[in-house]
Amino acid sequence: MSDMSEALARFGVYLRIAWRNLWRNRRRTAVILTAIVLGVWSMILLGALMRGLAEEMVENGIRTLTGHVQIHAERYRSDPVAAHPIRDPEAVTATIREVLGPGARWVSRVRVPVVVDTARKTGGATLVGIDVEREPELSFIGPDAIVDGRFLEPGEAGAVVVGRALLDEMETELGHKLVLLAQDAHDASVSRAFRIVGVYRAELEATEKQYLFVSKEAADGWLALDGAVSEIAVELADHRQAEGAARKLRAALVADGVGGEDGQPFQVASWRELLPVQRAVLDIFEGFVQLWYVVVFIAMGFGVVNTILMAIFERVRELGLLRALGMRPGAIVVEVLMEAVMMLLIGAAAGNLLGWASVAALAVHGIDLSAMAAGMELAGLSRVVYPVVTRSDLLLANGVVLILGVVVSLYPAVKASRFTPVEAMRQG
Amino acid sequence: METTNRSAVTTAAIALAALGLAFGVGIGPPARADDAPEAGVLVRAAFEHYRGDASVGTADMTIHRPGWERTMAMRVWTEGDADSLVRITAPAKDEGNGTLKKGTDMWLFNPKVNRVIKLPPSMMSQSWMGSDFSNNDLAKTDSLVNDYVHEIHATESRDGHTVYQVRSTPKPEAPVVWGSLELEIRDDHVLLAERFFDEDGALVKELTTSEIGELGGRVLPATLRMQKAESPGEWTELHYQKLSFPDSLPERVFTLTNLRTPED
Amino acid sequence: MSIELRMAWRNVWRNPRRTWLTVAAIAFACLVLVFMLSFQLGSYASMIDSSVKIEAGHLQVQAEGYQDDREMRQVVRDPAAVERALSGIPEIEAFTRRASAFAVVSSEDRTYGALVIGVDPVHEPEVSSLESLVREGSFLSSTGSSSGTGGDGALVGELLARNLQVGLGDELTVIGQGRDGSVAATVLVVRGIFSSGIDDFDRSAVHMPLATFQEVFAMGDAVHEVVAVGRDLWDVPEIVRRLRGALAGISQTPPLVVLDWNELMPGLLQSIQVDLVSGLIFYVALILVVAFSILNTFLMAFLERTRELGVMMAIGTTPGRLGRLLLLESLFLTGVGIAVGIALGCAVTLYFQVHGIDVSGANELLARFGISGRMYPRLSVLSALVGPLLVLVVTGAAALYPALKIRRLRPVEALTHV
Repeated sequence: MSDMSEALARFGVYLRIAWRNLWRNRRRTAVILTAIVLGVWSMILLGALMRGLAEEMVENGIRTLTGHVQIHAERYRSDPVAAHPIRDPEAVTATIREVLGPGARWVSRVRVPVVVDTARKTGGATLVGIDVEREPELSFIGPDAIVDGRFLEPGEAGAVVVGRALLDEMETELGHKLVLLAQDAHDASVSRAFRIVGVYRAELEATEKQYLFVSKEAADGWLALDGAVSEIAVELADHRQAEGAARKLRAALVADGVGGEDGQPFQVASWRELLPVQRAVLDIFEGFVQLWYVVVFIAMGFGVVNTILMAIFERVRELGLLRALGMRPGAIVVEVLMEAVMMLLIGAAAGNLLGWASVAALAVHGIDLSAMAAGMELAGLSRVVYPVVTRSDLLLANGVVLILGVVVSLYPAVKASRFTPVEAMRQG
Repeated sequence: METTNRSAVTTAAIALAALGLAFGVGIGPPARADDAPEAGVLVRAAFEHYRGDASVGTADMTIHRPGWERTMAMRVWTEGDADSLVRITAPAKDEGNGTLKKGTDMWLFNPKVNRVIKLPPSMMSQSWMGSDFSNNDLAKTDSLVNDYVHEIHATESRDGHTVYQVRSTPKPEAPVVWGSLELEIRDDHVLLAERFFDEDGALVKELTTSEIGELGGRVLPATLRMQKAESPGEWTELHYQKLSFPDSLPERVFTLTNLRTPED
Repeated sequence: MSIELRMAWRNVWRNPRRTWLTVAAIAFACLVLVFMLSFQLGSYASMIDSSVKIEAGHLQVQAEGYQDDREMRQVVRDPAAVERALSGIPEIEAFTRRASAFAVVSSEDRTYGALVIGVDPVHEPEVSSLESLVREGSFLSSTGSSSGTGGDGALVGELLARNLQVGLGDELTVIGQGRDGSVAATVLVVRGIFSSGIDDFDRSAVHMPLATFQEVFAMGDAVHEVVAVGRDLWDVPEIVRRLRGALAGISQTPPLVVLDWNELMPGLLQSIQVDLVSGLIFYVALILVVAFSILNTFLMAFLERTRELGVMMAIGTTPGRLGRLLLLESLFLTGVGIAVGIALGCAVTLYFQVHGIDVSGANELLARFGISGRMYPRLSVLSALVGPLLVLVVTGAAALYPALKIRRLRPVEALTHV
């Protein structure tokens, strides 16, 4: 026991010595601390912006009617028409609640291709029949997305909400009608006029041109679906849970015997499968962030080594003296390392603080890139970027700085331990 | 999403009647004037005057665009509101091409590749044989029966006849793109004009008839012209040479076999 | 003057370890910047090239209005004359002709609207990457057959083939409207299926031999587009200028226009600009970190020689000369660092410029931009010097600080400094 308390006491002494040594040359320490602070700050902030861009892309994709997990009838994936619906959605949602708990969030939709006609133009788009009250909780569409007119009322018939870009392309206006043509659940051709009651804006113009929204009830009636739906989308707390959830749902549906009427099991897909581009972006950006951390560390690493070297060469006499008095080389190494660690800790702490502060400040309004809208659209990116920091990012950044920092400080530390009393006297 | 410009792709219900195809009639509210006929009745009468239970006709169609003009000769059979067969007889390059409509389905035949193709819904808004008619109108003709509410809104005298101006308004969910139509119908059931307006009240296209004379035992206009309001240099004109109205036509006329191999 | 130089140089190497560490920091920053900038610029060139080579080409000659209206009658009446004009411009590498029409395409079970594109099987592969996008079957071959008796091949987009439920060897019936308004019809046999990664294209395109297209759609000798690629992306503006002049001699209605890739594919340039700007932020951050990292070296060079500098001042060296001396030392140090950095940066960049970097893991993302498999950085005078120049400016500023402090040094204080 006394060994332990003795070691602790010694440790305390080294700590105090290291601390005092650190501040012997205030300006020098301050300069290298600035380098470390700048380094850590840029690691965190710029890494967060990069990740923010990637996460934004993923979130956008998910909120554009994808959800974290989607369930379809087998045939729907290759031929997404009303004739291939999920006929018994209640059985599926029961299984969802069973697997994900009673608080599970999901929504069902009708989604079919339609031809759109106005007095002057004709084109193709996708009709989405939504649960007017629940869909806005999961997707971008809802009263908040409306820029002109109003959103749908629950169960409303004959009303449609279209994207601003579609409105412009079809050369029509709010309040006018669109004549829609589709194949119903029995593959018969049906058409009907819907009145444009609202106009929405989405992140991407392509989204605005693609989707028309009506109430699920209106779509059901028009397409003679009789309660069947095209898809069920599930929302999870975090997009990282999607693969696991999809697997569990797939197994549970098979186990419960819930499947298509042709005996085929339902298709359960996570967003990673449905949005390959977004998945690729996220994976690439992860790589970039890690690379960035390493690059910044190397840049400041040279300075750290140099500074500690300068410090110990100033103290050759003192260190030699310590050796002459019997201090073990190992102890000197520990002492020098402690100086390094303290420096790194202070710098990292300040850098983290600045990082958090700047991320919090930017998180309010994000960085607006609408000036580059066309380019962002082509790349599938949204116009405003928000920084995003994850726990693993923080761990990695600080880990790189502290652990690698100690590793490179070993060189000057070992050097310091090698100063002999003879050299010490020579320096005098 | 791709859009195509409908200005190249429009038609009149009456033009379809000219081809011997149905156009829609609705029974509307009573007309304003006491001794004027009920609007819906008037429109139906005009339609039946043109259409008959069945019809067989020979006509040519001229398509005019800035810089060129083309004329096709054709034979047309219709029955009831929904069935029609059109076959092109000249020029040689297009001879043998035909379209068959039965109910809401439509097929196209081309002798060069010797194939019959069923037109998918997405093609229904496209132009019929390059004219100002669309396939869509053929398919939707009988639904027009239920899709409009008619009202006589003016009466005038012209060349010794009474001419009724009828305004037709689509019913709320009816699948028609127009904001309103205006029809000019003469007291002897001859259709003089039909105008198509968008929902802002702007004229999009106009059908006018001329050369009113005797055809198949009835007084009918021999020439119909479909004109786009926004492109004066683009129009299609249909001219009837012969038209007759038998009581009915044999069933085999409106079949895919007949579409392929005429047995006139 | 030369004494100063020699003194400065020797002072720099008085503490070799410190000097080398500082040089390493500067060189590292320069290396990263040279490589990254070369990579960015190289990727833009290959991004643009790959994207435009799928369909648009570096530039196109069309009838005015065709790009927006896509009407059959907006034709290039005499493509041979246009091609003669193109041949007269040496920077042009290859050109080809195309014509297209919207038509109804039917398989046995399904019918879809599609864009039918007539391409020249011989010259198209010289201009576009279409041939390399074929996933099943083969590219088109030119046939003399024009009677439409099922011999002509079609190259169908992957998504369209799936929608039509056709595979190799299946027949497609194409019916549309010719240039003179007559009915255009033909039967094609699916000879190849391609996938460009761009959904819109894969879902709507059917390629057929141009000669057959012209016959079926009553085009005569006319086409809708003459597509050209130059030897180098950077030559395009000059080529366009010369071509406009050469085409002035050809008159037709509607008149001919020349469109470059930026007009044909808006948004491409901007997405590159976004990338460039965001890269800059990282570079600036890196340089700042390095600047503070090495600042101590410059400070120490001044602070630990206070006594020595005091002596020099005492024997008559002016503060100005001392300042110059320090500045020279700093410049030498920085200069060596930058030189080493540029050398290493160029070496690494050139290595990958030859061998490429494997990026196949990101295929779906890159397919949007037409890149797959390998990316190549591209060393240029710009990429080799811009980064290091920035480093020079910033580290030069850092070096200035001690040089300025010298002026405030007082000899007596300096001499007695411990």
